[in-house]
Amino acid sequence: MRAVRVALGVVGVGLALVGVYRLLGTGLADLVDIAVFLAGGVLAHDLIVGPLAVLLAVVVLRAPARVRAPVTVGLVVLGSVTLMAVPVIAELGSRPDVPSLLPRPYAALWLVFAGVVALAVVLAVVLASRRRRRA
Amino acid sequence: MKLPRPREAAFTSSLRSPEVAARVGVWLAITFTVAFLTGVWSHLYQDQPGWLTIPTRPVWIYRVTQGLHYLSGTAAVPLLLVKLYAVYPKLFADVPLGRAKQLVLHLLERASILVLVAAAVFQLFTGVANSAEFYPWSFSFRSTHYALAWVAIGALVLHIAVKLPVIRSALTRPIEDGERPGKVLTRRGLVRTAFLASAVAVVSVAGGTVPWLRKVSVFETHDGSGPQDLPVTKSARAAEVTSLAVAPGWALEVVHGATTRRLTLADLAALPQHTERLPIACVEGWSANADWTGVRLRDLLDLVQAPAGAEVQVTSLQPRGPFRSSEVRANYARDPLTLVATRVNGEPLALDHGHPARLIAPNRPGVLQTKWLARIEAV
Repeated sequence: MRAVRVALGVVGVGLALVGVYRLLGTGLADLVDIAVFLAGGVLAHDLIVGPLAVLLAVVVLRAPARVRAPVTVGLVVLGSVTLMAVPVIAELGSRPDVPSLLPRPYAALWLVFAGVVALAVVLAVVLASRRRRRA
Repeated sequence: MKLPRPREAAFTSSLRSPEVAARVGVWLAITFTVAFLTGVWSHLYQDQPGWLTIPTRPVWIYRVTQGLHYLSGTAAVPLLLVKLYAVYPKLFADVPLGRAKQLVLHLLERASILVLVAAAVFQLFTGVANSAEFYPWSFSFRSTHYALAWVAIGALVLHIAVKLPVIRSALTRPIEDGERPGKVLTRRGLVRTAFLASAVAVVSVAGGTVPWLRKVSVFETHDGSGPQDLPVTKSARAAEVTSLAVAPGWALEVVHGATTRRLTLADLAALPQHTERLPIACVEGWSANADWTGVRLRDLLDLVQAPAGAEVQVTSLQPRGPFRSSEVRANYARDPLTLVATRVNGEPLALDHGHPARLIAPNRPGVLQTKWLARIEAV
């Protein structure tokens, strides 16, 4: 396994260096901008998303035991998909000359999406408590 | 009041475990590998290195690979978030001060993980933003996303090398190994939730490239609407071609050596017409099939006696921009499906689709399907 690990490590460093080499042609101003976005992503997770997950866990733990799991699943789905879709939901790239880009009412669709997730959570809670009563 | 520094041991949930990290990590690695390979593939089309001849069939290869690129990146977002959740306590692990060798190894590992997380988050953010054409930065998306892709995949391979014993033992143990009864989800439940969120993310955007999912794809960037039922990425206005494209004196120059033919729209219409169903697959992720009508490129090349092996440079009316011209290799130029189209879906090309004439070839990225043609030169 040691040989495999060393080989993988060498390949990994080599691949990463290809990327570094490709960045070398970039001007200083752009490199600074790239560094800002690279650091920004890490900080956004470590200082906002990570602590937010801790905070949400504290909140969920205050809820009755039978709703915790469905609520958590709902929050992970809603939260991660929303985060992924922020540029779309906020229509950040919209341009007046291209109506076929981002053509939908995304804020309203997000509300529908959140509603469907909430409905699924409620259904899961109800079904689980019925099953428990029967058992 | 001084806040206490969080410590690794303060995170007591047994969800934050190698068992969860390794299982989610495997799928995260798969999505990154698919995105990397399909991304390199897309750059090969655009860079066209001399040693590579890309086949023109099947016509849908690029549509599929670029769709996979977009969807694998989308699938990775929830997986990365859950993976980072599982390993978050490691951020607060004690640094082994005082023992030089361990300290160096510890710092090297932290540095490699910093590079991995930074590159991974960067790739997913810039990719998702690009699909919505949101550019809050000054650097070139195309070259930077490509460079950081190599950094991300390299850091991932290095990370797997470093963690291989942990990964192996976590994957060979049952997922419940050492799990304390939790108050919320089980580990198995969390891993399944990550997969569910990933699947929901994919379905929520996939309609832009998988039309039968359109009804449930609430966050797709293109819904198939647009002039002539076909979306647009670059408009005539943005390309600054409007006045040139509608000018009555427009004629397409077809050039080979000293021979030049100038063809008006009427001249083009008088040549044999062909209608082909070909996809347009945008690098931004959306794709759609359309019925294109026009003259075969090879028929135009024959008008100026271009040799069969000639490569072709097609140039747009666009005054500037990296995609104002593109290179058409000989196998593409001679393919009967490669058209200089003047009509789409039964109507004359809309201005935003490249009126008066555009290139449309099988198995080719949308950015190379040059619009608002001015000149075709065999070289």
